[in-house]
Amino acid sequence: MKANKLLERLTRFLDADSKTQLEEIKAIRKVLKELKEKERKLREKLEKKPKRDDADELQIKLDVIYAQRRKGVDRVKALKQQLKTPVEKNEPPTA
Amino acid sequence: MLKKFTFPAVLLFLAYALWANADFMEIAAGVALFMFGMLCLEEGFKAFTGGTLETILRKSTDRLWKSLAFGMTSTTVMQSSSLVSLITVSFVSAEMITLAAGIGIIMGANIGTTTGAWLIAGLGLKVDIAAYAMPVLVFGMVFMMQKSKVRKGIGSLMLGFAFLFLGIHFMKEGFEAFQQTFDLTEYAMTGLAGVLVFTLIGMLITVIMQSSHASLLIIITALSAGQVNYENALALAIGANLGSTITIVLGSIASNLGGKRLAASHVLFNVLTAVVAISFITQLGQLVDVLAELLGIREQDYLLKLALFHTLFNLLGVVMLTPFVGKLEAALIRHIRFEAKTTEKPLYLFPEALETPATVVNAVRKEVQHLFDNAFGLLAHGLSLKRATIESDESLADAVKYTRRIIPLDVEDLYEAKIKSLHSDIVAFIGEAQTRESTRTATEELYVLRQASRDIVEAVKGMKHLHNNLSRHGLSSNLAVRERYDQIRLQLAKLLRELRELLKEEPSDVTSLSLDSLKLSLEKASRKMIDDLDEMIRNRRIAPSIATSIMNDENYATEISRSLLDAVHTLIRPAVAAQAEPLSLDEKELQQLMEQDSESSR
Repeated sequence: MKANKLLERLTRFLDADSKTQLEEIKAIRKVLKELKEKERKLREKLEKKPKRDDADELQIKLDVIYAQRRKGVDRVKALKQQLKTPVEKNEPPTA
Repeated sequence: MLKKFTFPAVLLFLAYALWANADFMEIAAGVALFMFGMLCLEEGFKAFTGGTLETILRKSTDRLWKSLAFGMTSTTVMQSSSLVSLITVSFVSAEMITLAAGIGIIMGANIGTTTGAWLIAGLGLKVDIAAYAMPVLVFGMVFMMQKSKVRKGIGSLMLGFAFLFLGIHFMKEGFEAFQQTFDLTEYAMTGLAGVLVFTLIGMLITVIMQSSHASLLIIITALSAGQVNYENALALAIGANLGSTITIVLGSIASNLGGKRLAASHVLFNVLTAVVAISFITQLGQLVDVLAELLGIREQDYLLKLALFHTLFNLLGVVMLTPFVGKLEAALIRHIRFEAKTTEKPLYLFPEALETPATVVNAVRKEVQHLFDNAFGLLAHGLSLKRATIESDESLADAVKYTRRIIPLDVEDLYEAKIKSLHSDIVAFIGEAQTRESTRTATEELYVLRQASRDIVEAVKGMKHLHNNLSRHGLSSNLAVRERYDQIRLQLAKLLRELRELLKEEPSDVTSLSLDSLKLSLEKASRKMIDDLDEMIRNRRIAPSIATSIMNDENYATEISRSLLDAVHTLIRPAVAAQAEPLSLDEKELQQLMEQDSESSR
């Protein structure tokens, strides 16, 4: 009886976790979309051939956004991986 | 409301006067040309103020007699006491010269400005000065069209002198023609009443023209044309001296404590001199007669006698006050102090806001934003840029490159008035809120907001040191040094603009992520500066001692930037859902980006 109760609690816990993970994936995807939009706007600015200084600044912004997006994509991949193999969920993401 | 109508009214009146009276037009055109000439002279001298004038100023003011001599010669050469006063104010406020030295220069400048009267009376009205003006004008323009800054400066100086001469010529012609139709001497007054009324008129003319030099020109030409008598002209000259004081007082309202003290000393000096001159005007007149005879000036030559009177009473003021300069300095420092009543009051921290944890957090957040806003203005001025320039789309690189003077700023005073008091109010308010019931989230938020407030305070403290050194080396004549300081100023100005825009824009999930690129940009600029300096030391383009000063200042700038970035991160955080945070780059990741970039640039 005790073991059953414990098992029941564990299942509920695991379900809750996967729900949180799904929510996180959704949120990160939203941020990634916004980042992509921002990247597009910056590229448009860069194509207008601004002064060298401004172009350097824009390039820095683009590099950072690229790194942030890569980080986001890796995080989404890791979360999806965890959803597929729930046993490993407590391990840190490989990305 | 009044201001709105005054200017058009003045323009209309002037247009009517110019249309109605051709002689008045000639006189007015003469004054306009004269003043334009003075502007050209100032412009010309500014071309040489990128270090040379500053170096001379610093070295030649360590003794009172040196300060006096400096004020006298520089004003004589430049024919503009306002430019000398302006530079003196900026040096006193940056504490690069003492207040006593500043007073000495201002006193010397008062004597120097009397040479203008000699120039106009002795040369301007006796020689056909316009004949000299023409070739100078042509050569001046040729120099102005050159690319070199120094040549342009020389051109400006030549044009300045040419326009001064032309102005004098036009005024002379105008007054001579005016005399045939209208005789102002009918209104001449004698006795004490006459002295007082004409002193007042002299003052008014100077206040309107904003230049005692231009007033003296009017007085002397009017005297030469016989439009005023000699006694009244003496009173007018005293009035012109007093009038220049009002111009400086108006100018010092916006300046810092050092500027205010210097303006006060100027007022004291001029008022005392005027009182003595008015009281002993008869005796001074007699003294002028005796000296004029000794100098070989003819008895009827009232123009030179007026110039002599002008010099004499200014000299008298200097002789009277020189022994008391030390005491005057002490008294000014004691009496003109920073007034605590001008401290900034919080805009959002009211007892009602303490009612719920949410209102507390909201009020504190807005107040920290208010604090940031105050710091923003102070930091912009600290970089010698206008707040409006940073808030606009103007090129910051150009604004920095073409900076002609470091804005005199008492950062310590402004810190006390606009930053520290507000920070203390924020800390006290948070302390009060903590004694009440709160939620865990609210307590945590208040903690980070207090930290943000502290970050802003730290940024302003950093500016205190940076501004001090900017005043010394920011406009250095050594191009390599100037360029490095321009780089520091530009980097900070860019950051201020970016942060301003971030706080202004509609908050989104990615707002705080923008801070990462600012951090990277900051690190890159810092590294580039160190690399540049290393190279310059190796190539002996810069002395290692100056290089270390620049490195220290670069460090201040970096600290200011970091503090501001941290503060803004807190201020925009509630708008950012926690989901954006994991995408933010940490130190290691930013470092990787730096390395990638330096590898690709190799």
